[in-house]
Amino acid sequence: MELLFLLLAKALDFGFTVAIVGFGIVLTALTLLFIVFSRLPKIINLKFKKKKGITEADKNVKEADAHIEGNVTAAVSLAMHLYFNELHDEESNILTIKQVRKAYSPWSSKIYSVTQNWPKN
Amino acid sequence: MQDIFSSLFEMTAFGTISYQTVIMWLIAFVLLYLGIKKKYEPLLLVPIGFGVLVANFPGAEMGIVDASNIDLGDGRYKNLFEIAHEYGILNFLYYSLIKTGFLPPIIFMGVGALTDFGPMLRNLRLAFFGAAAQIGIFTVLIAAILLGFDLNEAASLGIIGGADGPTAIYTTIKLAPHLLGPIAIAAYSYMALVPVIIPLIAKMLISKKEFTINMREMDKKFPPKHKIKNLKTVKIIFPIALGTVVAIFVPSSVPLLGMLLFGNLIKEIGTSTSRLADAATGPIMNTATIFLGLTVGATMTSEVFLTSKTLGIIAGGFIAFALSVAGGILAVKGYNLFASKKINPLIGATGLSAVPMASRVANEMALKYNPANHILQYCMASNISGVIGSAVAAGVLISLV
Repeated sequence: MELLFLLLAKALDFGFTVAIVGFGIVLTALTLLFIVFSRLPKIINLKFKKKKGITEADKNVKEADAHIEGNVTAAVSLAMHLYFNELHDEESNILTIKQVRKAYSPWSSKIYSVTQNWPKN
Repeated sequence: MQDIFSSLFEMTAFGTISYQTVIMWLIAFVLLYLGIKKKYEPLLLVPIGFGVLVANFPGAEMGIVDASNIDLGDGRYKNLFEIAHEYGILNFLYYSLIKTGFLPPIIFMGVGALTDFGPMLRNLRLAFFGAAAQIGIFTVLIAAILLGFDLNEAASLGIIGGADGPTAIYTTIKLAPHLLGPIAIAAYSYMALVPVIIPLIAKMLISKKEFTINMREMDKKFPPKHKIKNLKTVKIIFPIALGTVVAIFVPSSVPLLGMLLFGNLIKEIGTSTSRLADAATGPIMNTATIFLGLTVGATMTSEVFLTSKTLGIIAGGFIAFALSVAGGILAVKGYNLFASKKINPLIGATGLSAVPMASRVANEMALKYNPANHILQYCMASNISGVIGSAVAAGVLISLV
């Protein structure tokens, strides 16, 4: 340990060591991360296969579905957005009461009203 | 009569205003202006700016006092009650929340719960450039030693190149707490200036042809070997596995990375822990940001801030930042020399943290050269690995220096 301190007596030397070792560790950590996670899917997939015993057809479907690119998602969501906007078709914002001409109905006919049948004096 | 007037005058602060105080006020006003009007990182610059202002009201005695005032010798310190009683509320907050290293990991937890590691898992290759972009930290460490900073100060200065606010603050608390104010200001200001710094460096180093490298076409030409299925499961396993791997290698980065990954885990689990994730990203993170900003601002009293070291930090911070961007770009260029599947060098430029602003800026630059070339997803991959890289670098510095 003493030898190490002698070697690293100067701050600058120590700085260099820290820089090189530090950068090395950062690189190693991320490399390790890469190795672990590039193998991880295989491990997970293996387990899932054992559990379910997926048929060949299922497998094909899954492989096709597994990776959806960002632009596909974007296109689908845009299409859905447009579709759902279309559902509620554009209405005019002017609200007025329209007079509705109804066909004749005896229910409201004046002929049958009470007053009509009163004797005329 | 005269007695009354003189005691009235003494009650006010007019007698104690010095030119240093006025300079600090101006700095506070500039920070507040940048935060409020220019919207440069307003969530941080406004509390920091106001903290500076409050700390420099003469007579109010809100500024953070030097740690030697707290030290009783023999490794004993004043307790929090005594600190609150003698030095006021901001010192109480500073010594309980910042000096203990409590707030930065809490903020990192919120950042983790806001981060999606998906893009990085899809493009694991790009994670390397997050490591390459940490070169600025270590280069400036050496440069700062040459300039006469001591080792601890140099390491804190270099970490600005990681472009990660909480990381820079955490490292500085551990290594050189007297420089906390200027380093936090430099880190956050340069993060706010990412839209200026990245294009500046990128235009110097990247040719027009490289700007137009289309990542999606490259992916089609050379489809990735490892396709991740069950992305949701992988995303849940990721924080647990990464935490374990990194903890074995760099245990000192665990306070930061551990909290980041915990935040990410509660987000990825989904509905069953969504309440925790909501708390981490909302109330807890916002509260932490307020206290962090105010107390970091309050460390910037005129005696501490108006020194030549501050200028060195501001210049050194910029160099660290620029070198990190350049390091990422050059790493991609080096990779492109040997690989047939080319990578757009802009993706290397986003290897420094500053999530997600760096990615947005790089994406906009790529779109300028080719309106169909969206590289945001790829940029996010190296950007997020930059966060991990800078937290690991911080851990390395804390344990080695």
